Amino acid sequence: MDLLFQFLTNTGYYLADYRNVIMIVVGFVFLYLGTAKKYEPLLLVPIGFGILVGNIPFFKGFGLGIYENNSVLHYLYFGVTTGLYPSIVFLGLGAMTDFSSLLARPSLMLLGAAAQMGIFFTLLGALALGFLPKEAASIAIIGGADGPTSIFLTAKLAPHLIGPIAIAAYSYMALIPVIQPPIMRLLTNRKERLIRMPELREVSKKERIIFPAVAVILCCFLAPASIPLLGTFFFGNFLKECGVADRLAQTARTAIIDTATILLGLTVGASTQGDVFLTPKSVAIFVLGAVAFSIATASGVIFAKIMNLFLKEKINPLLGAAGVSAVPGSAREVHLVGQSEDPENFLLMHAMACNSSGVIGSAICAGILWSFMVVL
Amino acid sequence: MYGLTAISTHNGWAMAFAGALIVFAGLVVLSSVISQLHKVLLFWEKKHPVFKNNHKMPENDEPEEAPGTHVPREFPTDLDETARLYQPLIEELGETFYLSDLYEVAKKNGFPHPHITLTAFREAEILLPYGDGVFGWNPHTENKDKEND
Repeated sequence: MDLLFQFLTNTGYYLADYRNVIMIVVGFVFLYLGTAKKYEPLLLVPIGFGILVGNIPFFKGFGLGIYENNSVLHYLYFGVTTGLYPSIVFLGLGAMTDFSSLLARPSLMLLGAAAQMGIFFTLLGALALGFLPKEAASIAIIGGADGPTSIFLTAKLAPHLIGPIAIAAYSYMALIPVIQPPIMRLLTNRKERLIRMPELREVSKKERIIFPAVAVILCCFLAPASIPLLGTFFFGNFLKECGVADRLAQTARTAIIDTATILLGLTVGASTQGDVFLTPKSVAIFVLGAVAFSIATASGVIFAKIMNLFLKEKINPLLGAAGVSAVPGSAREVHLVGQSEDPENFLLMHAMACNSSGVIGSAICAGILWSFMVVL
Repeated sequence: MYGLTAISTHNGWAMAFAGALIVFAGLVVLSSVISQLHKVLLFWEKKHPVFKNNHKMPENDEPEEAPGTHVPREFPTDLDETARLYQPLIEELGETFYLSDLYEVAKKNGFPHPHITLTAFREAEILLPYGDGVFGWNPHTENKDKEND
């Protein structure tokens, strides 16, 4: 009888507290959004399931939890805390990205830079709310709308905040269709949304091959701390474009990125144990994340409108919203908002140019913030 | 510590301003370099106008048109009329063809906005999908074109 009673006291049903229940509900919401609503399913499904796994109550000291040494989850989480998975995800992203549209219209890269302003506004906001500089920098990078970059920087600066920051970053990436269109419509008028972009020039293969090699030098010389992200990103792109390593490029953009995404999502989800995750700081991070993402979208659109003051051939200001680095979600959203006004307006390729420059911009920002914090 | 005091104490204003400036500067330099990339390549391959005298370039730079293909200066807005202009390209490609091939040929021959035109053709069922990316020209359209002629 004692044995049975002891067993029962060790079950999750007995050990559960309200925080685990709340997080399990959050996990189900993520799974619902990913599977039923198809909001970024490749991200939300592993994270949602990870939240369920991470919030099953267990007897402490068994070596089961993600924060317990020698547990399987702890070893898998190693890839997050060291910044390994984000780096691998960037390799795959590079092998997937086509920079042709950016090479055809390099001026659109400025919109990718403008959209990073959300990061620096949020840095100020987080400092004002009482976060320490390293925490503030980690929260601010959510404004880049790039999950792997957010995780990478947080792992380096404020590892205790990885859970809430990763969840906030991925949640807002998944909620792009909800967050971005109202901001785009609010800041533009119909006439601006109807602006058509000229057809892009054809980009030669040589340009596409040279670009990653030149870009990695220019960007990483400027912000060497972004080497782990941009180094692998441009390497992946070079594999794709050079034409002699198709097998490697194919593996990078399929098996490798998929494996890293699964492990990243699952362990980040599992890191949201109720007792660690449900704190007032997490709530503040979610609020600041939303602010960061909204400011990033708005700054891109506003900067595009400023550019139009000086340009003879106007650009569609909706493209500014694609300057955040959520690839390809925000580019798709810009295209859809453009098409809702004029079904024959094709903005996707131009939006992809801004989107890919947003990836580069947010990785540079991560490098810059990391460098600043080392100096502090 | 909270508010503006916290920002000032942690050097927040300087970090935000310098950070924004560095990102902008970095991406401006990168965009300037890549905007010149194709020109550098043209020099490298000696195709730039500067080198044109060294090569016996034909006086007329316009691309040679495929036989039977005529792209008017003023492109028609009417879809059937546009379809008639695409007819020689279709004959060149054969009964069935990949959409990408038609796009390439149209682009090569200087047809404006081929992707928009092809989308319009698909919506108007002038181009019929046969699956696996293979398309065919709707014979009824062809007959209609010939009747119009």
